[in-house]
Formats: sequence, structure tokens, C-alpha cells
Amino acid sequence: MRLLLRRSSGLVGRIFAILLITVGIEFAVGTLVYERASHSSLQEDEARRLAEHLVISRKLVAERPWRERETMARLLTTDRYEVRWTPNLPSPPPLAPQLGRMRAQILAWEPSLRDSNMRLRLTSPGRHARVTGALQLPDQSWVHFRMEESPGGWALAIGRVGLALVPAIALIIVAGLLIRRTLNPLRHLARATERVGHGEQIELVEAGTVEVRNLVRAFNEMQRRIHRLITDRTETLAAVGHDLRTPIARLQLRADGVKDEALREALLSDTAEMAGMIDSLLAYLGGEKDPEPPVPTDIAVMAATIVDEATDRGARVSYAGPAHLEMKVRPIAVRRAIHNLVENAVNYGGCADVRLSEGPDIVTIAVDDEGPGIAEHQLEEVLRPFSRLDSSRRRNTRGLGLGLAIVARAVEREQGTLTLSNHSAGGFRAEISLPKHAA
Amino acid sequence: MTSPSIIIVDDDPPLRLLTSRALQEHGYTVRPASSAPEMWAAFDGGPVDLVLLDIMLPGTNGIDLCRQIRRKSDVPIIFISARGSEADRIVGLELGADDYLAKPFSTRELIARIRAVLRRVGVERQQGDLRESEACFDGWSVSFPRRELRSPGGAVVDLTGAEFDLLGSFLSHPQRVIARERLIELSRTRLGDSSDRSIDVLVSRLRRKLSTANKPAPITTVRGIGYMFNAEVSRA
Repeated sequence: MRLLLRRSSGLVGRIFAILLITVGIEFAVGTLVYERASHSSLQEDEARRLAEHLVISRKLVAERPWRERETMARLLTTDRYEVRWTPNLPSPPPLAPQLGRMRAQILAWEPSLRDSNMRLRLTSPGRHARVTGALQLPDQSWVHFRMEESPGGWALAIGRVGLALVPAIALIIVAGLLIRRTLNPLRHLARATERVGHGEQIELVEAGTVEVRNLVRAFNEMQRRIHRLITDRTETLAAVGHDLRTPIARLQLRADGVKDEALREALLSDTAEMAGMIDSLLAYLGGEKDPEPPVPTDIAVMAATIVDEATDRGARVSYAGPAHLEMKVRPIAVRRAIHNLVENAVNYGGCADVRLSEGPDIVTIAVDDEGPGIAEHQLEEVLRPFSRLDSSRRRNTRGLGLGLAIVARAVEREQGTLTLSNHSAGGFRAEISLPKHAA
Repeated sequence: MTSPSIIIVDDDPPLRLLTSRALQEHGYTVRPASSAPEMWAAFDGGPVDLVLLDIMLPGTNGIDLCRQIRRKSDVPIIFISARGSEADRIVGLELGADDYLAKPFSTRELIARIRAVLRRVGVERQQGDLRESEACFDGWSVSFPRRELRSPGGAVVDLTGAEFDLLGSFLSHPQRVIARERLIELSRTRLGDSSDRSIDVLVSRLRRKLSTANKPAPITTVRGIGYMFNAEVSRA
């Protein structure tokens, strides 16, 4: 039962298990009580019939002369009772204690047997227990008898139990279905809860029992609050980002007018860095604010174009893969993702080898570099927004540490996966796998 | 030739001042305006060669203003926006802006874009071309406002600015040999982009993008002279 509970740890399973135990116990106890009652009445019945037979047998055998007694005993033998008389039969063993009750019942029914010194024994050859016994006649000789157990007693009991089991099982099935139905809204709730924070908002229908209805209403309101909170934050950050661009534009135009060349270059580099930070922040927030729809896009050309542009900037970048590969993606987000991976590879790994390959169900874009890679325990960390690794990777770091977080988001939105790994021979690989038939 | 006159519409006074000064230093006549009414007033002040329009203006939004200007005039418009997202760029260009400049920008970039737009419009007027929006060849389609190329299969095919301008030059001279020098001159409308690549590299990249498994790109090399675009071009 413990195993069953653990395996079906859902609410439906739990309630069902409780129901199963209750109905099971009720059934077992009920059956036991009923069986006990019917069994004892059966025994009484039997004792009564035996008593009547014995009284008659005793009388008839005792009336006959000795030589006719054997024949009379044979005549008195029926399918159920065997009666035997022989002049020199030995006296039977004393009464078996477990049959005391039966003896009392017999004597209660036929008090005339009291002076017959009746003895009962239980013999059990094989499975069937038999009651055997003896009576003393007034002339001190013994009449032996044996009672054949009525066959099929147990089979009868099993049939009865089975019959009683049918409504119990039917009850359990009906109850199980009803429980499932009652808890259905909870299952929807669980599914909706899993989706919270992954973009879209699911308004659940208030249905089911009062408690569940309240829970669903509370969930909907909580979801709305969370959504509003996120939207407010996102919009605030985005507005700050947009507004900062105007002063940066002023600063850049002012810097253009600075005569001192070294100072001008330093100022322009600062404004470029600020602009870059805002770009990546807005890109990170952007997917959330107004998601672009997926459109058919040639992602092979997209990857090759990103490689070409990086080459033009003087980076060591290469592309290997098909010349064309059309699939449905969100082009701005995916372009940005590939771009970020190439930039990272160039900045931290000195070069970028972009490889595009097509499998039966997925398209893989792998970007390799020859850099020091990332320590295994930090692979998770770099995916978090605003995370930046120190020391060796710090040298060329610019921006807010949103690069890989933007990639991770874009890939998640395409229902793809982003895998980061270190090569055994040195170097780092970032791999995007996109399903071909994503929504 | 008199210096081209430009209207700047921007609600941020220091930025408006700085932009005006940068333009004046490069020989342009500037008429600044801080709002839509001031812009219409500036239009009345004489011929206008170009409008620099900030998308986010108080009162009227820049997109509506752009639509209003287009209804009255063919004057080249360059959008300036602090939003700078790809979606905004496309909306701006589809509404009839000639180019889109994201804040922050450098003086060099601003001047390059203005020159490029003025030159492109000048070339178009010279040839009597109307502002074109769509062109098709061999199943490929080109949207000029969106600066977008679509494959025969309907997929968006990425082109760099320089590659798009090169394709535009080929499309306006189909089935004619174009000398390399002429091609450079025609395509150099976007100085801000990485157009320092040699024209041959650009052609080879464009060729790679336009070739498909069963059909090579319709660009042939004419030895010692230049290139020819040998596909039928239909315009819409």
C-alpha cells in the first residue's frame, strides 16, 4: 500500500487509495461477520440433523436382536451418515475437545442421548474433516457413526464472496471516476502554474467545487498581479533605456567636437559602451514586450551573413554548412542569438567556427572557439542575466552580461535547447538546437 | 548648387542644437523645429531637401507626422528613434521614410546617411523612377521599403546593407553589362555600412545567397569590364 501511495502521489491517487482501503476494510469485516454467522447456523443445523439421525439409529439398532443389528446399521447408513454396529467393536477414544460445542448442541436438541455416553472425534484424511463418533447402547455395545462433510462448502463461500465483491468493485470504479472529475480543475491549475513565467498568461476557467473554484480564482489573480509586476518593471527598464539614448546621443555629438584626439576617442568609446549596454538590455527585455511572430527564414544565409560581417570587422570567423536552409523562426531573436554566440567566441576564444547541420527533426548551430572555456561549475551561472565571470574572461568584457541570457531566451522561445560545453582538447562550444516544426 | 536645406524635428533642445551645428559644419542649411506645428511652419519657409524626424514627439507621434508629410510631399525623410528596435525600423521604412537612424549616432554616421539618401533620391529623380516598392526575378522578391529579400520558397534571406544596395543596382539595370566602377558608384549609397569590402567580394557573397540547388545566381562576370544581371525583373 505504501508503494502504491508513493507511486501515485497525486491527489487523485491518494484519495483513491484511501477509498480503496476503506471499502476494502468494510468489505473484509462485513464478509467475515456474515460468514461467521452463517457458518455457526450451518453447524447448528448439522448438529440437529445428526442428533435426529442418531436418536433414530440408536432406537432401531437397540430394538433388534444381536444378529440383525449389523444389517439394520447398514440400512440406516445414508449418503451423509455411515452407521456401523459389530458385537465386538472396541470402545472409541474419548471426546475430542474441539467438538464439545457440537456435542452440547446435539444433546440440547435430543436430551434422550444424554445417557448414551456419546463420543465425537475429528478425523481428517486429506482436506475434508470428518466427524466420527460412537454411542453406547443400553446393553453396553457401541454404535459407531461417521458423518460425511457436505462437499463444496468452501466453494460456495468463495462464490458468495465473489458475488459480494462485484458491487464493491463497481463502487470503487464509479468513485474513482468521480474523484478524477472533481479534481480535473486542479490538474489544469498545475499545468497553468508550470507555465507561469514562461511568457504567455493562461486564464483558467473557474470550475469544480467551491474550494477549487476559490483556488483557481486566487491563482488567476496572482497570475495577473505577477504579470502586471513584470510588465511594470519591464516597461520601466525599457523606458529608462530609451530615455538614456537621447543624452548619450548628445554626449556622442559633443564628443565629436572635441579637438583632443585621445580624449575624443576615449569619450566615443565610453558612449559606444553605454549604447551597447542599453542595446543588450532592450534586446533582453524586448522579446517579452512585443514578441515577434515566427516567419520562414533562411537560417543558413543568416549564419553566413553574421560570419561575413564579423570577418569584415577583422575577426577570425568561419562558416561551414549548407548554403540554404529554410525554417520558421523569429528572425530578429535568432539572428541576435547567433550574433551573440559569435561575438562571445571571438571575444573570449579568439575565433569562431560556426557549423550548421540539419538532422531529421532538429537543426543545430554550433559555435566553437579556441579559448580557455568555462569551468564546469560555472556553465549554469553564465546563462543567468547580469552574470559575468571574473579574472581571465573579464579582459574584453563589455556590456551587462546579458549576452548568453538573451541567447537562452531566444532559444527557449523557439522551443530549442542551448548547450554549453568545453572541448576535451581545449576550446569552448555553444550549441543551439532548434526543432524543425516548432510553433 | 546651393547647399541642401534640412528640417530637424526633435523635441530635445540640446540635441536639436547639436545636430543642427553638426549639419551646418558640413555645409547644410538647417531649419530646426521642436514640434509638428513648427515643422509645418518651417516647410513654408522655402524648399526643403530632407527632413530629420524624431519618432517620439510630444503631441503628434512621429509616425503619424510621417504619414501626413507623405500625403503632401515626396521629400526624403530620415527617422531618428531612441527605440531602435528592428520592428520600429521596418514600420518607419514601410511608412515611407527613406532611412532610419537609431539614437545614439555619430556625426559621421548622420552625415553619411543624409548624403546617401540625397544621392539615392537624386539618382531616382534623374532616371525619372518613382519610388519603387517591389521587384521580382526568378521567383525571388525584393521589398525596397523593408529592405528585404525573400527566396522563391518565401523565406526571408538576410542581406547586409551593402549587399542590398548592390542588388538594388543590379535590379535597376537588368540584362545590361555594368562596369565595376559604375557599380561601386551606384552601390555606395550607404557609407555607414561595411562598404569598404571590394565590390568583387560583395558580388560573390550576393551570388552565394542567390544561388539555389537547381539554379545558379543570375549574375555573370563580364571579363575585364564588370558584371551583368541576367534575369527578367518585374516591378510592382
